[in-house]
Amino acid sequence: MTNSREQVYLWHRFTLREALLLGFCATFILLTRAGLRLHLHLPGHVMFFTMFFYLLARGCVPKIGAATLVGLIVSLGSLLLGMGTKGPAVFVKFILPALLVDLAGALFPAFVTSMLACVLVGAVSASVRALADTGLEWLSGMEEEVLLRKTVITASLFALYGGLGSLAVPSIIRRLRKNGLIDQGSGS
Amino acid sequence: MTHDSPVHRLGAGWKLALGTLLSALAVGARTPGELLALVTVTLVYYFAARLTPFDLWRDTRFFVFQAVLIIGLYCLLKGGDKGLWPGFRQSAQIILFYIPGAVLLRTTRTGDMMRGLRRIVPYRLSFLVFVSIRFVPFFLRELDEIMTAQRLRGARLLPRQLVDPRNWGDLFHCLLLPLMVRALKTAEEVSLSAEAREFGARQQRTFYDVSRQAGQAATAHLKQNTVPPCSHMGPEAGKGLL
Repeated sequence: MTNSREQVYLWHRFTLREALLLGFCATFILLTRAGLRLHLHLPGHVMFFTMFFYLLARGCVPKIGAATLVGLIVSLGSLLLGMGTKGPAVFVKFILPALLVDLAGALFPAFVTSMLACVLVGAVSASVRALADTGLEWLSGMEEEVLLRKTVITASLFALYGGLGSLAVPSIIRRLRKNGLIDQGSGS
Repeated sequence: MTHDSPVHRLGAGWKLALGTLLSALAVGARTPGELLALVTVTLVYYFAARLTPFDLWRDTRFFVFQAVLIIGLYCLLKGGDKGLWPGFRQSAQIILFYIPGAVLLRTTRTGDMMRGLRRIVPYRLSFLVFVSIRFVPFFLRELDEIMTAQRLRGARLLPRQLVDPRNWGDLFHCLLLPLMVRALKTAEEVSLSAEAREFGARQQRTFYDVSRQAGQAATAHLKQNTVPPCSHMGPEAGKGLL
């Protein structure tokens, strides 16, 4: 998919086309966040589509930093659209899971084609989001036992939805590759 | 909700500073007196922005689950009497921590926020952010079209059908896959269009000067002794696009 004439646009890594595609993945996360806000009120459900699009972004642009760029754009977009009810903490909420997806991609470049690996990475990355609240609660003096239990409950909910959202990624990546729409995923 | 109040007129930097201070105080509050004072100050700040109690509910309803969980855990571990206050205090601290951020977002115009962001975010990144926001209506339309077409083909994509996890296959393969294909094609077209205008070719931000283009076109037409098609456009033409 990468054209040799294309110039590197961002972070010495992404071409403009790749960066725009990642931007569109961020658009989809914003769209699904707004959509879900209208219909569902289940805690942690936001990670369903967030993890799906993070992993899809990593699969479509198999370069380190792809998911993080999506996370960064979602954070800034949420702030601008007034969707970040938690204010600047929205950066931690979105970038922390994205960093983990990129870390997984750096260690196992082909993980997006394995369903088990996707579910694992999706669940673990989504659960890390619970740490964003844990830091604040620890600072505000919450007792360790309560803090631990609450973190386990919220992280489990995030992990459940994150894992479910990641289930479909391998089949979609395979179909996109089969039709020559994305790179075959050599990784970098 | 009105769009004019003393808080609306405050600069974004001041609101950020005030919000940071209030959030920091929320983290440090321990006694009932401190908490009560902070609740009062935060609510005064919130309602000074002419926001309504309904707005307050919309901003804090996401923390209700969290509050129930925290109070429940405290009561479970310490007993109903001893656990109620610390659980309530923790929940209140968390809500108070986030309210100033909500005020900032509700009272700062997107344009002001963008101007502020432009100072700290590199232009290449801010271009991506604005493009992704700009394409929200476009992809909403696409989503709607794909959904209608796929539902006509029998895909189970109605909101009540998507509650059933057995229908999630249709969601991913009939809706999100075509949407992703559309995103790939759109990214290709937009990048070609931008690169044709040498966007991103230089380190500094560049502008596509439409007025200059119009001027060059007019000169070319004059050389050929013909009337330029946009002769009524002055040198200011297209400046709004820059």
